[in-house]
Amino acid sequence: MTEVILNGKLPPPVRRSDGVIVPFDKQLIVKSLIKETQLVQTFYGGSPMKEEDAIKIAEEVEEEIRSMKLRFLSGPLIRELVSVKLLEHGFDQQRNVYTRVGMPLYDVYSIDNSEGYEAKENANLQANPETFHKKKADFLSKESYLLMIPPNVADAHLRGDIHLHDLEYWGTRPFCQDWDLRYFFYHGLMPDGTGTHTSVAGPAKHAEVAILHAAKVLGAAQTNFAGGQGFFNFTVFMAPYIMDLEEKRIHQLAQMFLYEMTQLYVARGGQPVFSSIQIESGVPKVWQAAPVVSHGKVWNDLTYGDLEDKVHLFAGALLDEYMKGDAVGKMFNFPKPEVVQRTRYWNDKNFEDIMLKAAQLSAKFGSTYYDNMIPAYRGGEDGVSCFQCCAYSFSEDGTSESFQKKIHFEDGAHFSMGGMQVVTLNMPRLAYKSGGDEARLLEILRETMETAKQALMLKYSLMKRQFDRGLIPFASQRPKGAPTAVDIDNLSSTIGFVGVNEMVEHMTGYQLHEDPSAQKLALKVVIEMDKIRKEFADSTGMKFSIARTPAESAAQRFAVSDMIHYTKFARELVKGDLEAALPRYRETRDVPIYYTNGAHVNVSSEVPLYDRLAIEQRFFPILKGGDIFHIWLGEINPDPEALLKLNRKLAQSWIGYWSHTKDITMCRTCGYVGGGLNAKCPMCGSTSVKNYSRITGYYQDVSSWNAAKKQELIDRHRVRISS
Amino acid sequence: MRTIDGSGSDTGRTRLSVYAPEVVPLSLCDYIGEPACVVFFSGCDNACGYCQNSRLMKASEEHLIDLDVIEESIKRNKLISACKVTGGEPLLQPDALAELGRFVKSLGLKFGVDTNGTLPQPLKGVLPLLDLVSIDVKTALNEEAYGKITGTSNPCVGKVSESLSAVFSSNAYCDVRMVVIPGVNDSGEVIRSVAGSLRSLGYEAKACKGEASFTLAEFIPEFAFQEEFRKIRNPTSDELRSLALSSGLTNARVTHRVLGFFQKVA
Repeated sequence: MTEVILNGKLPPPVRRSDGVIVPFDKQLIVKSLIKETQLVQTFYGGSPMKEEDAIKIAEEVEEEIRSMKLRFLSGPLIRELVSVKLLEHGFDQQRNVYTRVGMPLYDVYSIDNSEGYEAKENANLQANPETFHKKKADFLSKESYLLMIPPNVADAHLRGDIHLHDLEYWGTRPFCQDWDLRYFFYHGLMPDGTGTHTSVAGPAKHAEVAILHAAKVLGAAQTNFAGGQGFFNFTVFMAPYIMDLEEKRIHQLAQMFLYEMTQLYVARGGQPVFSSIQIESGVPKVWQAAPVVSHGKVWNDLTYGDLEDKVHLFAGALLDEYMKGDAVGKMFNFPKPEVVQRTRYWNDKNFEDIMLKAAQLSAKFGSTYYDNMIPAYRGGEDGVSCFQCCAYSFSEDGTSESFQKKIHFEDGAHFSMGGMQVVTLNMPRLAYKSGGDEARLLEILRETMETAKQALMLKYSLMKRQFDRGLIPFASQRPKGAPTAVDIDNLSSTIGFVGVNEMVEHMTGYQLHEDPSAQKLALKVVIEMDKIRKEFADSTGMKFSIARTPAESAAQRFAVSDMIHYTKFARELVKGDLEAALPRYRETRDVPIYYTNGAHVNVSSEVPLYDRLAIEQRFFPILKGGDIFHIWLGEINPDPEALLKLNRKLAQSWIGYWSHTKDITMCRTCGYVGGGLNAKCPMCGSTSVKNYSRITGYYQDVSSWNAAKKQELIDRHRVRISS
Repeated sequence: MRTIDGSGSDTGRTRLSVYAPEVVPLSLCDYIGEPACVVFFSGCDNACGYCQNSRLMKASEEHLIDLDVIEESIKRNKLISACKVTGGEPLLQPDALAELGRFVKSLGLKFGVDTNGTLPQPLKGVLPLLDLVSIDVKTALNEEAYGKITGTSNPCVGKVSESLSAVFSSNAYCDVRMVVIPGVNDSGEVIRSVAGSLRSLGYEAKACKGEASFTLAEFIPEFAFQEEFRKIRNPTSDELRSLALSSGLTNARVTHRVLGFFQKVA
């Protein structure tokens, strides 16, 4: 029934989005207004509509419809008419919750063609049917969450004062998590968290099963979390499963895990799990005397310290397999190998092989991440600490009362480290708003951090509620009444920052590398941030942290929003190719301009590495490590022994986390994989090549990067250009 | 590096100027096994068509810089454990090289040089300061083949041999390096001839002590100086490997982009 008969008096029948055609009935408007505007109270603490107001609106809408002489009506159309009336009468909040969310048909069509909406938001997403579906869901989610959160927070995000990360998951998923493998080796695995929709596996008894469980834990976890998933202490906790195996099988298991983590292509709209593993070469001091937990039991006659040889073997096997690459010689970009640096590993000759293999892997593919436990702020040998996602650091120090219980897995107590949510500040904008006045800058910093705090507290209460209701079921699982897998109260609320370099450039006239006054101001601001963070933590009892944000898309979004709102200042400061961006930035956000990440030095500045190290390392202790030091290798064939010695020096600095980024070309015609960014294969000349490099904190195909990150790749000042 | 001024020379010695237009503060591929600062001296007595640093072939006035400036930047550089001088041909400026060498050694860093071997006398002069000599062997050590590849009428093959022999009997580590160019110097015959010469000059005794290596490097056409060389393909890693094996030399190594980093073959 598509023909609609008009009698000129009655409104036409209504095509409703639930699939029926019904006569127009203004009572339905009244009812829905009363019901739905109750959300005003839920979201903003305001008042729902009174019945008489609802009736008045409904009547006006009916009148409006009659006067429009429409040939047909639809539910969405009526809803928009109601929304307009609500705005006319000053019911702004009521309109916020009454409106529809959705996207223009044109945009939906573009998504199916892998164009348009956020096609390059996340380089880890490939164009495929799952991704297209995710993009549509993301759009709907983001738009609705922007209506649900308090308008001052939403506006701050939309204006580009702050960036609410992973907004599409605002109401459903916490951010990231580093899992304690012992939990699953003791309790077994139920990927859905309840055992109702998936089978329930008992604790692994065999090495292969343990490896598969580990892979599936991260896969299942990714369905509950927005960001990275990883295992701290991976090689140590795996050791009991390989203790009777010979080296060849240990290599086989290592290889199996790398393939699982790069072929389990199921996460969040068709992408590999964003995963990481912490590779200890031996057994850290705190774990030496701890009882082994595996095969469904806590061993009373075996400690992790007894298994150090196996831990060592497994670490070496993993690095060997990373180095081989996959069947076509391509690197394994996940799980990110986080090779732990400890004084013992550097001083004990026994561990030299692991340190060298880590360097060889850096030299070949750039894959290694160095997780440096040596600086005092990491808690040294007495705590447990890890890096997660792109470079967030989480730790528990050995002094907390529950620490020893967790080490001994007493009553199932275990570690749960991760992030709840990241909100990033647009630092250059603080400078623009301050009018160049330092005291004012710090005031605006505090105000903006207050907004971030408001957002983070809201997120916490949302997640707490979802968690308690079992709506994040993998995280909240309690097999046989065990403690929940994730300690939701222990997730860190992170305030990130982008563009400290441009902030000080605006204030002092110098970039970070250009003058000590710029560095001094940067440190002052970041120290102030930490002070405010501490106040927040003390006053709320919540866990707050500050960190350099990976800002894969935020660094671009802030630059573009400042070009819109603070054009005069921003055009002097944004990095990248402003000329190319100028004609397009008002239409699309995906233009080649960006702010420098965190408190990093401008990537294109030609400062020697030691000068950059001297500047950037000073931020690590303040951020408790929540940062990354990038070494952009220009060498096509770096010497691993030389790289090893450089690592030894870096391990003695304050840098808590670093990586060497080697640009890689891979030819799809002849299979060449080697150093350098090339448009044509240097071996066979084919143009069917893929270039890989590190984007913020992971490796991915450059063609899927956004325009700003591609520009940054060109701009990077490398250690040594050529062979 | 260019922004560092040369003030603060209180050593009282004569300020030396040197043709050195470029300094790379940190390299992981120029000094075997060490993160190193690389200083590029300009001016060369060869004119190899496949040269990757042809901009440094001629020393020009604007390349002149106070040695102090370079020394100051090395002194501040806490990430390196070595300094390598390359070029150009560094031994064309032996005084500056020796001066820099003394300074580098005084900091406790290792000191190395890249040379084409045509200047044995200056080499012998600085040898006591050197921990590493990377010496180029372009092809079989005979006048005709050598003249052709180096673009000079008098390629001084005898001098190259003299240099090799001097380094083999010194305390410095010696890396004999040959860039393999398909159709130019990639025959088994050439490699065997080079290997024979190296043996007769004392390579093996040195290599057996772990103080010498023979490195076959991939020729990279994109970086070549002359158009005709840019048209030549690069060798495959397997070709390099089999040539290295056929040399029969101890500590033969190959370096190729496919491998990611150099690999020992024998």
